[in-house]
Parts: sequence; structure tokens; C-alpha cells
Amino acid sequence: MHTLRTAPRRLLAGSGVLLLTAALAAAFPVPATAAPGADTVGYVRLAHLSPDTPAVDVYLAAPGAAKPQVFPGVGYGVVSDYLELAPGRYAVAMREAGAPASDPPVLTTEVAVTSGDAFTVAGVGRHADLGLRVLTDDLSAPTDGRAKVRVVQASVRTPVLDVAAADGPMIADGVQFATTTDYQQVEPGSWRLKLTGAGGPSADAEVRLTGGAVYSLLVLDARQGGLTAELRRDAEGGTVVPAGGVDTGAGGTAGAGFDAYPMVAGGLAAAAGAVALLLWRRRRRTTW
Amino acid sequence: MSAGPAPSIRRHRDRRISLAALVAAGAAVCLAAGTGAGLATAERPPSAASWHPGCGDDCPSVATAPTPHGPPTRVRVPRIGVDSPLTVLGLDRAGVLIPPTGFDTAGWYGGGPAPGDTGPAVLAGHLDSRRGPAVFARLGELRPGDLVQVWRGGQRLSFRVTGSLRTRKDQFPTAVVYGPTPGAELRLVTCGGDFDRRRGHYVDNVVVFAVAEAGDPVLPTSAAG
Repeated sequence: MHTLRTAPRRLLAGSGVLLLTAALAAAFPVPATAAPGADTVGYVRLAHLSPDTPAVDVYLAAPGAAKPQVFPGVGYGVVSDYLELAPGRYAVAMREAGAPASDPPVLTTEVAVTSGDAFTVAGVGRHADLGLRVLTDDLSAPTDGRAKVRVVQASVRTPVLDVAAADGPMIADGVQFATTTDYQQVEPGSWRLKLTGAGGPSADAEVRLTGGAVYSLLVLDARQGGLTAELRRDAEGGTVVPAGGVDTGAGGTAGAGFDAYPMVAGGLAAAAGAVALLLWRRRRRTTW
Repeated sequence: MSAGPAPSIRRHRDRRISLAALVAAGAAVCLAAGTGAGLATAERPPSAASWHPGCGDDCPSVATAPTPHGPPTRVRVPRIGVDSPLTVLGLDRAGVLIPPTGFDTAGWYGGGPAPGDTGPAVLAGHLDSRRGPAVFARLGELRPGDLVQVWRGGQRLSFRVTGSLRTRKDQFPTAVVYGPTPGAELRLVTCGGDFDRRRGHYVDNVVVFAVAEAGDPVLPTSAAG
């Protein structure tokens, strides 16, 4: 008997609470959370940075793709442009130039491409201990209109390298062969870079850095002997970036949505209250 | 169990009332959830899985066009019926992007990269005027793979949509939208979300991302010689 008497009341009380909760939820809509980033593309480029390794064929396979993209005959010192790729895990394989695709690859690695992030997949080291390395390229904007530059050290002739601007800042200090420095912020403009290292050839490099841009200075053993450097622009953006969003709407198509919610919610709350009151009075009048 | 007919009748009536209350509650839940659900889907469009860079094996080789100069003059987005001249937009004293004065004309942020140059070129346009839809009213309908064309220096530059996001203006992801990019990219910006009538502005921005259409990737020659 007890269960019969209490069950409907519980149900009513429960639904009343539900109604009130819903009304409250409608009155205070869940705020839009900030989107962490658009689901767009990530960037991958391929590089051959091993001085004594012959040219290779590089295979890049998208997740679930039947056929990989092939870059034939990639030689020492070649760095591709960035490929714009949908996020996902990509397989990179290296074979000797001209080797059939059915041959087992010499080296393989995987690169997890994430939206907006950039990676360089590079064959590094001497041929004897060649490895594929995935370098993370930090393409974020330099501050205060400066430029950003890092050193990619792929010279065995000068295996420990210093890079400094003449009458300017030190850019890299004691960089080991087959390593890459972090990006340094530098004032934009033209610089004469001095590349030096104990027990190896030296070189000068004239570079022009644009504010808001991101660069890699590729240091290589030149084929004719000595040291050479190539400045690669990794990315570029504006130097004066607007603050926040932009007000691009006057509300003509907004409808009643936003303003109507308090009214709708209030109405629901009132209805819930009325129902509860009604039920309460009925319950008091009748015996259960 | 000497209940008799009375409790069962009452119970029946009670159930009807509670059923009505539940229906009302359900409707309220739907109304309340409507905002949240709408936001959730709008923020994360389908991933760009169908979109791929470059083209397959047998794509026509793209003739290298001369580098375009000057400001962009026109934007066209076939899928959403946009065909608008472009004005040049600047910043106010607070450093905030000033929207186009006309509701039927989109604008290019002239302080940043131009379309076709390396970097993110930003085009902004109104979602609506006080009377009705404006130039970028249907921006939110764009999906990965959609075409955007920009005229600059007598050239028509093509971009492909790669994704979009919706964000509160007070949490605008500046680095994602304006940050350096390896190639020529485009950002189309308009408003979205709720309209705050007290401020007279929308709460959110909608940003569509696009990249320049490229031919087959070409490997540069080695600097080693």
C-alpha cells in the first residue's frame, strides 16, 4: 500500500524538479566554449640531411590511402616545401633511389599530423648510422615585429658549429652535427652571418629576415668542398595583428532566440510552480 | 491490499498529470539543450578527411603565374553565392579590426599578408544588417574542399576551404587565425552565435580556413651543389 501511495508523488515531485531544472537551464544557457583550433591542416616537409648518403626515394602514405605519394631521387641538402595534410598518422619510408616500391624500405617512421602544426621529417646522421627524425617546427609568430631563425646543422666537415651575426646577436653556439637548434628571435633586416667551428671550414651567409617570418638556416657540406648555408623561410605572417575578433553583424537575422530565452524559461518556471502548487493543494484535500 | 477502485482511479489521474508534466519538462530540456547542441555541432565541422593536398597522379601541371601585386579587389565563393568587391580594412585605436562599412561588401585586412602572398590573408564581411542577410550570411555553410576565388592584380587566385571554427570574440584564437603559415592561406571571418542586443553585436565569430590551391609538390634543388 505504501508503495502505491508514494510512487505517484515521487513521480510528480521528480517531474517538477525536472521542469524547474530545465527552466533554469534555459534561463542560463551553456556558454560557448572557446574552440581550441579549427580542424584544418597540418604541415609536413621532407629533408635529406645526411652528407654521405646517396639519393633516396621518399614515400609518404596518408592514413588509409591505397597509394603513397612518392618523391623520387631526393639528394643530400634537399628540403621540400611543406605539404598541407589533413590531420592523421602518416607513414614515411625511404628506399634507395630507383629501388622498387615492393622492396623493404631502408628506413621508416611515422608522423602524427595535427591541425596547424608543422613537422620536418629528415634523414639525419652519417650513412652508417642514418636515422629518420621528426622535427617539430614551431611556426608561432615572433613577438614585437621580429623574425625567428634556427639552425639545422647538417655538416660533418664542421661538426660543431657557431652561428653569429656580424655586429649582431649570437644565433647558435656549439651546434652538433645532425641536430637542430630552437628558434631565436632576431631583429628583422639584412645580416651577415658568420658560420665557424673548431677544426672545420667556415662560411659567411648574407641573409635578409622579414619581421613576422620564421626561418631555418640550413648548414651543409658543399659538394665543391667547404661549408654552405641556405636560408629557408618556414612561414610568414603579418607583424601587426588585430586584437580579438571583429564585429561583423547588426542582428537583422538573429531572430528572437537570445532575448526570448529568459521569457521562455520564466514561463516554464511559472508553469512548473503552478503545477506544483495545484498538486500540493489537491494532495492536501484528498486522502491517499 | 484493500485498495478498491478509488486509488486506481486516482492513480490513473495522477499519472496523466505527471505525464503532462514530463512532456513539458521534456520540451524544456529540448529548448535548453538546443543552444548547447547547436554550439557543439557548429564548433566542430566534419574533419577534412575528403580533402587532400595537391591532386592525384594525372593532374595537369600548373603554369607558374607571375607574382600578383597590389591589394585584392574581389572575392567570389560560388557555393554560398558570394561575389563581392573588396575594401581595405584597418584597425581602430584599440587595435581591433574595423569591419567593412557596407553590409554587401567584404574587406581585406590591409595590415596583414595579401591573398596569394605567404601568410594568412584575412577577409571579413558582415553576417547581417539590421534588415536582413549581408555578404557573408552563409559563411557557416562552407565545408572542406569548397572553392574561394580572390582577384588581385588582374589574376584570379584559387583557394580551397580546409576547415572552420566558431569562437567567442572575447576568446578569439588570434594565433590560430593570424599566425604565420608556410604557404598562401586565406581566412574568411564573420559573426555567429547569439546576438547581444544590449551591446548591439554578436557574441561569436565564425572563421573559415582555406589554403591556396597548389599543383604537384616540386622538390627544390639542393643547396649543397
